[in-house]
Amino acid sequence: MGLRSYIITRILLTIPTLLLLLSMVFLVMRVLPGDPVALHFEKRATPEQMESMRRALGLDKPLWAQYLEYLGGLVDIGYILDHGYPNLGRSMYQTSEEVGGQIFSAFPATLELAIYSMIIASVIGVLLGVASSKSYNSISDHLIRGFGTVTYAVPIFFLGIVFQLIFGVYLRWLPTSLRINPAVDPPATITGLYTIDSLLQGNLLGFFESLKALLLPSLTLGIILSGMFIRMTRTNMLETLRLDFVTAAKARGLKESTVTYGYALRNAFLPILTMMGLQFAILLGGAILTEKTFSWPGLGTYIVDRIDFRDYTAIQGAVVMFGLFVTLVSLVVDILYAYLDPRIRL
Amino acid sequence: MEKIELSIVVLVLIGIIVSSGTMYYMTTAIDNLSTLTDDVSTLTESVTNLTSTVSDLALIMAEGFEEYAEALAALTARLAAIEAGLAAKETLIVGTTDSVEKTLDPAQAYDYFGWCILQQIGGTLVSVEPGSPTGADFLPDLAVNWSSNEDLDIWDFNLREGVKFSDGTEFNATHVKYSFDRAIALIPSIPEGAPAGLGYDAIIDSTEVLDTYKVRFHLKMSFSPFLGILASRSSTIVNPQYAPIAQINHTAGDARASTPVAFAGPYVLSKWNRVAGRDVEVKLDANPNYWDLASGYPKMDYIIFRFYSDATTLRLAIEAGDVDMAYRHTSPTDVLDLEDNPNVKVWWGTGAQIQYLCFQQKRAPFNDTRVRVAVTAALNRTAVCETVFLGLSDPLYSIIPPGMLGHTEAFQKLGDANYTLTTSLLAAAGYDSTNKLEFDLWYESSGHYPMSAEQALLYKEALEASGVITVTLKYADWAGYKQNRDNEIMDAYIYGWYPDYVDPDNYAFLYWASWIHTNYYNETINGLPNPSYPAYLEQVALYDEARATTNTTLREELYAQIDAIAVEQCSAVPLWVGSGWAVTTPPIYGIYIDITQDMRYWLIYK
Repeated sequence: MGLRSYIITRILLTIPTLLLLLSMVFLVMRVLPGDPVALHFEKRATPEQMESMRRALGLDKPLWAQYLEYLGGLVDIGYILDHGYPNLGRSMYQTSEEVGGQIFSAFPATLELAIYSMIIASVIGVLLGVASSKSYNSISDHLIRGFGTVTYAVPIFFLGIVFQLIFGVYLRWLPTSLRINPAVDPPATITGLYTIDSLLQGNLLGFFESLKALLLPSLTLGIILSGMFIRMTRTNMLETLRLDFVTAAKARGLKESTVTYGYALRNAFLPILTMMGLQFAILLGGAILTEKTFSWPGLGTYIVDRIDFRDYTAIQGAVVMFGLFVTLVSLVVDILYAYLDPRIRL
Repeated sequence: MEKIELSIVVLVLIGIIVSSGTMYYMTTAIDNLSTLTDDVSTLTESVTNLTSTVSDLALIMAEGFEEYAEALAALTARLAAIEAGLAAKETLIVGTTDSVEKTLDPAQAYDYFGWCILQQIGGTLVSVEPGSPTGADFLPDLAVNWSSNEDLDIWDFNLREGVKFSDGTEFNATHVKYSFDRAIALIPSIPEGAPAGLGYDAIIDSTEVLDTYKVRFHLKMSFSPFLGILASRSSTIVNPQYAPIAQINHTAGDARASTPVAFAGPYVLSKWNRVAGRDVEVKLDANPNYWDLASGYPKMDYIIFRFYSDATTLRLAIEAGDVDMAYRHTSPTDVLDLEDNPNVKVWWGTGAQIQYLCFQQKRAPFNDTRVRVAVTAALNRTAVCETVFLGLSDPLYSIIPPGMLGHTEAFQKLGDANYTLTTSLLAAAGYDSTNKLEFDLWYESSGHYPMSAEQALLYKEALEASGVITVTLKYADWAGYKQNRDNEIMDAYIYGWYPDYVDPDNYAFLYWASWIHTNYYNETINGLPNPSYPAYLEQVALYDEARATTNTTLREELYAQIDAIAVEQCSAVPLWVGSGWAVTTPPIYGIYIDITQDMRYWLIYK
């Protein structure tokens, strides 16, 4: 199978994956106790008012009709061209607002957090993993492994609060939460990523303020994720360093760093790359907790809020968005893997 | 070679620390530079003004005193400009866990924070005096005085002249009529019905313009708490230009599109950014057209709200100095802890939030009045207030909270953990230590009410300590809890109330409110006569009588009688009333936390 066929197959496979995910969320939400209609009324609700709200939310229709209507909205090309995002329906709680609009206003915050966390996790994870494998069974190896285990085990909110206390409350170096200092105007939206947008607009103050705000949440999430990266890198490097080609490279008198990073790490990197793709799903799960801990207005906070309101459409939309994102990352990783290792395509 | 990798790691870590430090100092430097530039610019402006003033003085000296008066006026104006220029632009940054729920349109808004913002940007005919212990001390706002007929069904208001909306539109009586006509007209088109929740359509028959600055309300009933309703945010006067008569503007698909801008309050809403249906940025600027500018209000030029996801992050933010003030919600534990922190100040005040216990009367065991009274007598409110709320709430023995007209200690008659009474009543109902009364006690588990699980546990302990009761604790999140309430499947359940307007009228009805679904108010239950129904009718008659009189002594007596019946029936049982608090970084002044729970930000200054 050629690379092109491989990519097309992988893209086609994402469709049933997403459909399955969507169907499950659609059904599970409706099985949960709690009526989104009742949540609109604190008191004095007549049966007529309740029925009117049920009709307004489209919940008076049979389940299959609601499902088909929802799927129809998703593939409404005209809507996508008009709005720039698929028709995910209206929020069942804030009935005047489009779920698509809400999700796409929150997604850049989650994406920015995910990207910076991934960078931090990768740098710390790979460097410490390599260092650990190079000093196998030494004190530094044990220390790094211990660090990896502890960071993997420590709850996100706990590490987050510790960082907030140290860097925010005691040292007062960094803000304890939020995306940017409110005294500073957020940059105008281009990508929705504050650090990028402020740089594109030459807004240096905005860039520093958003980077300051980003540092603690991404460090928290990055360190938590780095534990898995350390272990994975260490294990793969240990196996690779024992291989003959490494010994041969050393025998040819190549520099130790060239052998480690140029030869061994390059070969050990393929499984690490796959794991990075898989970790993106965990990273998004972790982002929910990180966002809560740092009052980060992203998609994670959105999902948590909306579960309380039984906002079916909002939760469906957010889960589809997460699913789409994880699927895309997996797809990119698979393609990269196939590109780097031709055996995959055979 | 491993030393190299370790060195790299150490260098990376040092890099992170150094770069964060550098970023901090660079940002501080940029901040300082920006402040310095502002100061220099203000100073330059002031110096220019002074130079100009001195030139004028020289001119006056040269030309004699012929144009003295004119020159003096110009001089005074210029000095005022200098003073204004030199005055620092002050900003108050407020941290909160709240967010506007759906809209800031007074015809639909029905949440604490939405009402809070409306209070800062909007004007009402009357307002409650800050610090009022009863919530019944009304001050003129957009109306200067008022009167009613003896039947309390016609109310006249003389309006303040010279008031402008923030866009410069002159305010007059037509705006008052328009605002109430619009609110009532919109009720059918808003499925959830606010402000029908306040009963406007049931109370107001019509609004009549008597004069440019005089308006009359014709009510459908005699209604003494009318001023309380007029002081609520639903009664905010709107500017017709921005508030279509029959439309909450939802077409733009964004809550902000439904906000009629240009109200007549101390502030204007200059920024309102939301992400995924939740506020991320709200900024208020002083309204240049505010009618009470001459008195120095609003005190602060800008109010900025920062939005936190929970009490813990809000606490950290106030400790870190990220915000000047934290209001709603820091937890009782945190706020007591913060009292010992010399860098912050905790402000205490009265609360209006109450919780009460409801009994499902359509089936056994709570269709028996003796059982309801017995369980009520076994409750231990004090233990809950002291242990769960650390003394920041008080046991409540009337559905009307302390401080308010009509509050009594009626339920003291049954006592707390009064097991003698519990045992004897349950014995009469056929229960004893071998045949214990068993029921489910439900609480809400998703944080809609504070510390619900802890409370429920203590109630269970107290009830079971009687030796004749077995309680099974059950819970559901808010969505499930409301569904269970409506489906009437919960034996006993804890519920809460926060007033729409500060008047006993907005509390007393909780004993029989049909939306709580206790069935106490039904003439028949399961086809059989409801023995509690006559008591309910008596309470409603007393309630209506209290509504129809302004005689406070009589009202107090009537509410006391309602409480007395409630003690005998125990349809809904008051549990506790909370207190209010705010945390600030000193020096901040002008904070009033009273029974209204309104935070009047225009009074706050540094």
